[in-house]
This record gives sequence, C-alpha cells and structure tokens, in this order.
Amino acid sequence: MLWLCISLPQLPLEALQPDRVDTAVVVTACEGNTRWILCCNKAAACSNLSVPMNYTTALAIHPGLQMLNRKVAAEQAALERLAAWAYQFSSTILIGDLPREIRLARTACLWLEIGASLNLFGGLSKFIAQIESGLEQLGYTYQLGIGPTLEGAALLARNGIRVVIATPHALFMRIRQLPIAMLTLPSTMSAQLHAIGIRTIGMLLELPRGSIAKRFGLEVSNFLDRLMGAVADPRPAFHLPQRYSAHFEFEFEIRNTQALLFPLRRMLTEFVGYLRARDTGTQRFTIDFGHRQIPATRVVIGSTAPDRNVDRFFALARERLESLELSEPTLSLSICADEFASPTALQTDLLNRSIHEVEGLTHTLDRLAARLGDENVHGLKLAADHRPELSWTTGRVGEPSNPLRFPERPLWLLPQPKEMQLTAIPRITSGPERIEAGWWDDRDEQRDYYVVHVEYGPDLWVFRDLRDSRWYLHGFWS
Amino acid sequence: MNRAEALEQLTRLCNLNREGVAPPAIEPTGFDELDAVLPNGGWQSGTIVELLPAATGIGELRLLMPTLARMTARDRHVALISPPHIPFAPALNNHGVRLDRLLVVRAGKNIDTLWALEQTLRCRSFAAVVGWPESVRDRDVRRLQLAAEAGRSTGFVYRTVSAARDASPAAMRLRLQAAPQGLLIDILKCRGTRGGFSIAVNFQKSREELRDMKSTSVEPDSNKDVSPADYPLSVIR
Repeated sequence: MLWLCISLPQLPLEALQPDRVDTAVVVTACEGNTRWILCCNKAAACSNLSVPMNYTTALAIHPGLQMLNRKVAAEQAALERLAAWAYQFSSTILIGDLPREIRLARTACLWLEIGASLNLFGGLSKFIAQIESGLEQLGYTYQLGIGPTLEGAALLARNGIRVVIATPHALFMRIRQLPIAMLTLPSTMSAQLHAIGIRTIGMLLELPRGSIAKRFGLEVSNFLDRLMGAVADPRPAFHLPQRYSAHFEFEFEIRNTQALLFPLRRMLTEFVGYLRARDTGTQRFTIDFGHRQIPATRVVIGSTAPDRNVDRFFALARERLESLELSEPTLSLSICADEFASPTALQTDLLNRSIHEVEGLTHTLDRLAARLGDENVHGLKLAADHRPELSWTTGRVGEPSNPLRFPERPLWLLPQPKEMQLTAIPRITSGPERIEAGWWDDRDEQRDYYVVHVEYGPDLWVFRDLRDSRWYLHGFWS
Repeated sequence: MNRAEALEQLTRLCNLNREGVAPPAIEPTGFDELDAVLPNGGWQSGTIVELLPAATGIGELRLLMPTLARMTARDRHVALISPPHIPFAPALNNHGVRLDRLLVVRAGKNIDTLWALEQTLRCRSFAAVVGWPESVRDRDVRRLQLAAEAGRSTGFVYRTVSAARDASPAAMRLRLQAAPQGLLIDILKCRGTRGGFSIAVNFQKSREELRDMKSTSVEPDSNKDVSPADYPLSVIR
C-alpha cells in the first residue's frame, strides 16, 4: 500500500473564508483562559503575526485584526466535500481526525491509497500533477506526502518532504533527524520526552518499544508501531453518498452577488469531482442561497444533456446569478443533486465534427435559457388548427414538426389582432378566406381574411369579424 | 509519448487543417438580380449584413426566405433573435424553412438581444442568425462581426432606416424600400465592391418559381381564383 497524504495546514481558515482577502484575518480558539491564534492569512502573516500566538498580543501588534472563531463542524464539512472530490483519484479515501487541541489544529489531512491508481493515471508524476492542479482550482493550501503508512505519509506531508518513500526502512532513514515536536503526540508527552533528552524521532524509535510502553503508556508505543507499519492502522474508509448535498456557511453576510462567485466556483468544482468519482453526470441540480429571515432562494440549474463540466455549470450559474435579485444578504450556500444520468458517450471518428456541433448547440441553448428564461428560448411547431393564433405552438429546437400544409400566410403575425382605422382606400389583392372554427371550445371565431395592399407600405393581413363586422389587422405579409 | 497524447496531437493537427485554410462559404441569396451584383454572388459567411427597412412588413424578412430555407434544408440551424412580431410558423413552413431547425429567442432588454446575437453567432451550429436589436452601436457591430467570424455564420441585423446616415463597420449594408411586387434595395456598402447603387428584386417571380417547384408534390388550392374585385370597399372607415 502506498498512501498519499493531503495535509491542509490552513483548513481552519479556508473552511470559513474561501476568498483571499487583503485584510488581516486570523482564526482563534480558547484554551484555558487564553485565546490563541490557530491560523492566519497572508496579510496577517505579513504584519508579523505568527502561529501560535496569544490573541491579545496579536491585537497589540495589529489593532485592525479581523477575528474568526474556529468551527470544527465547518472543517469536517470541508474535509468531507474534499474527500468526495478526491474519490475520482482513488477508491480508498480516509479522512483524518480533527484534533481539538490547538497545537494540532493545523494537522487536518486526507489520505488516498494511490498504489492501485498510478497505472490508470499514467504514472506518478502525471497523477500528482492532476491532484495538484485540482487542489489549486479548489483554492486550498496543501502539502503532499507519500509514504508506506498513514502516519508516515502525514509526517512527510507536514514537513514538506516531497519524496516518494515506499518502505518503512526508507521512512526511518528520512525522518530520524526530525525533531520530536513534529509528531502528533500530546504536548505533555512531548515535554516529558524532551526532559529525558530525546530530541529527534530517530532517538525515540531506537528506544526499546517495551520500555516506551512502560514509561509513557501504550498510546505512544502504539503510535510508533503504526508510524513504522509494525501494526495495522484500521480506520473507517470514506464512502460516497448516494445523494449530493454540500453546504457552506459564510462568516459574514454577503450582499454583493459578485462575492458569491468564488465560493460558488469552488463548490461546483467539488461537485464535479463527486460526479467524476461516481462516473456520472447531472441534468439538474439546485443551488440554495440561505438568508437570515426569509426562506432560502432556490435556483434550479438545468441543462438539456447530462453534463459534468465545471466551466459550463459555472457559466450557467453565473447567468442565473446575474439576473437574480436577492432581497436579503446571503448567509449560506448549498448545492444539492439527487438526479444523475451518465453523459452520453460521444463516440465519433477523428474528423467528424458534427457531434461536437450538436454539443455546442445544446450548450448554447442552455446558456440562453439560463439568462433569458426557458420560455423565451424555443423552436416553432405547426399545429392542426385553422385559427391563425392556434396554428402554431412553441416547441423544443430539433423536435420534428407536424407535416401540415397551410394556405398562403403572412410572415408576421400580431400577438393580438388590432382594430383598424383605415384612412386611405386600400387595394384588396386577395381574399376572402373564411376561417370559421372553434365552436367546440371557448375561442369561437368567424372571420373573413383579406390581403390588403398599401401603396409604399407593407401588405397587410386583415380580417372582418363576422360577429361584430369590425375590421382587424392581424399580420404583415413582409 | 503515450497513445492518448498522440491522438490528441493528431486531432489538433486535423482540426488545424480543416479550419485554417477553409475559404468563407458563399450562400446565394435566392434572387438572381441580387446575386448578380454582389461581389461573391451571395451572402458571405462570417460577416454581418445590416438590413435597413423603411417600414416593418415591406418584405424585409421575405428577402431572407430562400436563404433560410436552403440553410435549414442542409440541416443547419437558424436563429431569430427578438423578432418584432410573431414569426408565423405556417408561413415559414410555406417558404420551405424547416421549423425544427429554427430557434426563436425573445430577449426583453436590448443588451440581452445583443448578447444572444453574439452567443448564437459564435455557435458553429447556426448558419445564420437574424436579429432585431433596438439600437446598435459601432462597437456592438464589431463584436458581432468577430463572433460571426468565430462561428463562420452570417448575421443579419435589422436596423431602423435612419441608421443609413451613419457609418457602420458591417460588411454589407442594404437599405430596403417597398416596390411593386418586391423590394427596392439600395446597396449602401458592400465589402469587395463599391456601394451606392440600387436594384429591384421581384418576389412574385421567385414565388412562382417556388410554386412551380412544389406543384409536383402538392395539389393546387381550388379556391384561389376569386377575383379581388368582387369585394366591396365600402367596409373601410
């Protein structure tokens, strides 16, 4: 087994605030009576703040500091979303525990078993490149480590050792010079070890395991065994949920829809990773914008063909977002999908481009419908009715029309017949054509249609209503 | 190089070859008089054609019917963006336009109309896009021109006749006026030739041709031969 560990040192911050902002932001938590900084963004790091640091001290250094409270639930949710995304790369995903302890808050991680995936992705370097580009798209700060055991891979990742280490012996040779503080041992234990003169991991590992168990408890010796692969390290594997549901809570009210785009894109990327992991696509998913007072605003994103392309999803969502008027600021964002369908396999020979054109057409139609509304993007169909208003309907583009034939008709029809006030004497060029239909439903019509020619103007399609003998304009001949 | 890379490279090369050197397609207008004076003998793909009718309904859409019919018959799509009235499906069908290849888009705002025009022009599936924007600025026309080049489609944009006074970057500009039995077309500008002359097209003639073409398959209408003179004009108020 070869494990890839994705370590997420900035997760406490990134789970709360996906955007990169220019103001100094820190994430803090209380331990005892003191509030400590767990994590700070780039701007905060630039103003000489470090981790861990007392929050009061930090405020003295940088009074305009923005503070967020650590939320373990948000971190857990982010890890699970990331695990669903990572499932496309490996079928065995393990989620690391989130330690409550402040010193260990930056050790959140995720493991992928990659020994079985390397061939599929065309070798290690390509595989790693794909994972890295994916993580960069999602906007997480990450470190990667590859090792023979879970704890070993995590240790390598945290230390930024980007070397593939496949055997416990090689692992020992690589980590023996590292300080003892690098291990995720409880702080009391580290202090004790330090007190008896053990400074490096190598020194600790060379001690007889039995005496370690006796002096420091079974926990430490078990940890060392797991680190070196001497005992099994059973953990529950992550399973893909059947139904996708991701939720993100903002720390602040978001009033500007533009500010929603970055988190939305990250969530859609994770969603597409999930679809890829399940090897399926979707035709329909919903985005909910949660508010404080009123129920969430729901936006349904639909496409004509099953799809799993993040750029297209994002383009559709952005079109909808631009026309959306949120009456209240947004507090949370969720994506849900429970209808999945495999994208139709587009198999074609190398030079045939008609299928790509069809694909292009459906995406163009989706984009138009997302911005203008489904009812405003349609095809035309004939209907078997003599009444002009009912002789056509809207339909889907590409839907075959009924093979009907009509007598000569004008190219332009007015939505409503307009009563006419003719001042000049026109020339009737053809007619009448009597249309008398609809006695069986509510729209009974008895009309005589004429074509009227106006000098230096359009040919008009007019009718005389036989019931009230008035004249109406119904179309232009064009 | 593994197999996937080789395939990808090959596809890219093939596409390059197909796109790089293909000359713009010429689509006859369907009116011999007009084809005779246009430099390439028809509409050129990848360009914007501005049509400036003096009034709605004088035959400005009729002018495009042979073109649209031929395009849809070849399985290409045609889009009508923000038409001023309902494009009447039975009439389009009578003119030979395949309705299942037709897209109608109704955009409320002018900016949406221009956006929809650009999107459809850019899409390779559309052979022609016909639009009725409320107002178009020069840079909009330039954008549409670029979109048409990218999508290799022809864009027909209707503008008010007052726009004839201003210059425009469109490749072709035609002013349309009503004429007995057809249209009087002033060619204000045409890429590849000097504009500033007029010709008349006769719809009647081409309609008869169309009917002749169809009469083999369709039975003629029996009640067509009523003389217009039979109807009193006293009904006009």
